[in-house]
Amino acid sequence: MRPPRSSDETTLIRRLQAALSAPRRAALAQSKTRVKNWFTQEAPVIHWSEMRSPLGPLFVATSARGLCAVDFGRNENDFIARLDPRARLVKETHELLQVTLQLKEYFAGQRTQFDLPLDLSALTPFQKQVLETACRIAPGQVWSYLQVARKMGRPKSSRPVGQALAHNPVPIVIPCHRVIAADGSLGGYSGGAGLSAKRWLLRLEGARL
Amino acid sequence: MALRFEELIERHHDEIFAYVWRLLGVARRADGAVDAEDLVQDVFLRAYENFLALRPGSNHRAWLYKIATNRTFTALTRAKHRRKKAYALRQELAPTALAPDHEHGGQHVVHCLEALPVKQKASITLRYLQDLDYPEIARILDCSEESARANVSQAIRRLRVLLKEER
Repeated sequence: MRPPRSSDETTLIRRLQAALSAPRRAALAQSKTRVKNWFTQEAPVIHWSEMRSPLGPLFVATSARGLCAVDFGRNENDFIARLDPRARLVKETHELLQVTLQLKEYFAGQRTQFDLPLDLSALTPFQKQVLETACRIAPGQVWSYLQVARKMGRPKSSRPVGQALAHNPVPIVIPCHRVIAADGSLGGYSGGAGLSAKRWLLRLEGARL
Repeated sequence: MALRFEELIERHHDEIFAYVWRLLGVARRADGAVDAEDLVQDVFLRAYENFLALRPGSNHRAWLYKIATNRTFTALTRAKHRRKKAYALRQELAPTALAPDHEHGGQHVVHCLEALPVKQKASITLRYLQDLDYPEIARILDCSEESARANVSQAIRRLRVLLKEER
């Protein structure tokens, strides 16, 4: 037990609290507006949107550089948690019309390749190289993790290749689902809906499983 | 869900402003005054630059307070040097130039607060003006809970002595 505070001490604290009670409301509001304005001007903007797809609600996001996130089989909060926490988020469909249009064409079987600028700036050079290699796999084809590693000239890196594919921020658009295990099993899939989504995508593209 | 920077501003701006405003005390009005608004902007700028390095699940509030404490004491030290230079130039021996309302009544205690060592001043401000508990104060000041309590007690003792001396 701590000794109770003396009346002298209480008086002193009260004096201190009275002398430094609180800043003026106007000063608080002015400072907050200034910080918010600075944030609006300086923070990068990420536009995001939600669309319906055969795999359930599908979320897409784009930065000034290009498409930076695609996700499905998760809820909105989980998707937003994956986006750059420093960015200013704007929910808007207009900025993402090209993205959603190409995805709809893909799901309808009218498109096999995407023609969209991508923002992979958050990835390491190795991760980017893996994803670029995955883009070389033709629709309807599957490669093993080992094949991807070999194409990159790093035949011993099939495990890191798998890990890099698991960090693909734009699944479907970069077709990481076209990479499977060497024994013919599906391997893994980081998309929210898991292996059933991977199987569905490969069947849509006419791959023999 | 991970906290976004935008929410950090919304949730904590006001208490951080009040904290900085209180720590500045008489320096808001003395020669070479430090502006609370400028300082708060600087705190959020620093926080923004380091936001990605913050681990998930970290205590954002304590982290922001820590930045505010460091930036404010750096600004106070600079302001003190500026004042010293100005006095040297004028060859005056007068103490810190205070605005008139600091020289009277309850504001006297604020002047005495200036004489406290950094950790004591921060501790007593966090405890009795920002109303934070000791575990949180310890996190902000990178010390043990016991040390935070000791700093507050020492601050009170020192303030009592200073107030008696200046009576």
